[in-house]
Amino acid sequence: MIKKENVFLVVKNVILEILPDVDTNNISIEQNLRALGANSIERTEIVVLAMEQLGIKLPLVSFGSVENIEGMVDVLVENS
Amino acid sequence: MTTITANGVGVVGMGIVCSIADNVPMFSESLKNGVSGVTRLSPRKGPTLSVDIAAEISDFSFIDRLYKGPDLPMTLLRKAKNCAQRSPFPIQTSVLSALEAWENSQMCGWAGDPERIGIVVAGENTTQNYKYTLHEAFEANPEYLSPRYALQFLDTNQVGVLSEIFCINGEGFVVGGASASGNVGIIKALQMIQLGIVDTCVVMGVVADLSPIELQGFINIGAMGGKNRCQEPKKASRPFDVLHDGFIYGQASACIILQSSDVARERGITPRAEILGGAIKLDGVSTSAPSAEGEAHTMNSALHNSGVSPCDIDYLNAHGSSSPLGDHTEIEAIKNVFEGHTSKLWVNSTKGLTGHCLFSAGVVELIATVVQMEGGYIHPNINLDNPIDTGLRFSGSVVEQRNIKMAMSNSFGFGGINTSIVIKSCS
Repeated sequence: MIKKENVFLVVKNVILEILPDVDTNNISIEQNLRALGANSIERTEIVVLAMEQLGIKLPLVSFGSVENIEGMVDVLVENS
Repeated sequence: MTTITANGVGVVGMGIVCSIADNVPMFSESLKNGVSGVTRLSPRKGPTLSVDIAAEISDFSFIDRLYKGPDLPMTLLRKAKNCAQRSPFPIQTSVLSALEAWENSQMCGWAGDPERIGIVVAGENTTQNYKYTLHEAFEANPEYLSPRYALQFLDTNQVGVLSEIFCINGEGFVVGGASASGNVGIIKALQMIQLGIVDTCVVMGVVADLSPIELQGFINIGAMGGKNRCQEPKKASRPFDVLHDGFIYGQASACIILQSSDVARERGITPRAEILGGAIKLDGVSTSAPSAEGEAHTMNSALHNSGVSPCDIDYLNAHGSSSPLGDHTEIEAIKNVFEGHTSKLWVNSTKGLTGHCLFSAGVVELIATVVQMEGGYIHPNINLDNPIDTGLRFSGSVVEQRNIKMAMSNSFGFGGINTSIVIKSCS
């Protein structure tokens, strides 16, 4: 299992890659992607890219009930 | 200054990104100086091909070019960046040429009705190389395919992206016509304005981003030349020369904005040229074989639709792809249409400099025609050492200073798709 802080770091970097106008200091684990300005395609793209970088393969539906970045990180940690 | 015909359709904006220019003024300079964009093909994935030369857009960085490009409001540039920074090459080049055309058409800040503006994207199968480059990763891990792929593999992604950046709500669609796609797009946009469906129309000639599969296909069908010119690529594209041996692949994104004379006048704009008319005619064949009869019929139809006669045309931007059969066929057709007038008709082929830009060729060559009209010159045919026919007035190896009042531009595509348009100078 990969440590939660390491997964968050990967997710944060992916968010910055997809949303380059977001200030890195504004990304906290409690936030949700919508509030950071990500549209539905960008949100899915962030999930897929994070999975790729962590070498995790999960159906996208696994993230269906996730409400913020932390929820997404938790699903990734549990399946790493 | 020549004014535009009442109820006419003018070219009010132009933009280009190609192997010999990053913008329209640079394109005009390159044409005037006979600059060829053909070089060795950049390293790419896939097998080694027997032809490794092309006129590619090199050293491409979307973000660099976006901010070094035309002087446009930061809000528009930011929107363009957000829409296209994670898009494939054909979208990014389209956005850049469209921004240039938008800027010089002075559409920025104009409070026109967005429903009166349309988009015609010219070029089908524009995502071939994008798909090819993803294939290996997809085979290994299909789960990691970007969700954006579902949008981006579609040619119509061009329509969506451009409509979002420029707030366009009128009709928008993609047209294809193989190597005649550009002219098909121009003619469809012209007709939309003439029919009153829109007042303004963006015509986007999309870069042909071919994968090794398409390149090999063109080699195998015998259409692509340059096999013996790998050491001297600039000599390879030789329209109408005895040593022509097939087309040389070129890349260009070219955009024009057409507008009705009424709206141009209302905005206080003088169009850069007027599109008088055009014609699309089919030979009724499924092959790549050209037809002199079909081409002549198309040119005559374009003249008829434009209300002009052959002797009104003083310059012809030929299809001239450097294909032996294609070049011979077009000369036969030109002689037929312009019989008795050929000594006064200047002829060149822009493909000698840009390579054959396939889908966008018609739009590239319309822009070439307009800048030659504005600059009062006929660009050289740099590799026309020994013309296959001495009955036509080809420009030679250096630029000719000539005023062009009225011109024709031809584009012919596989599947017997013949197109021709007639352009009047407003200079």
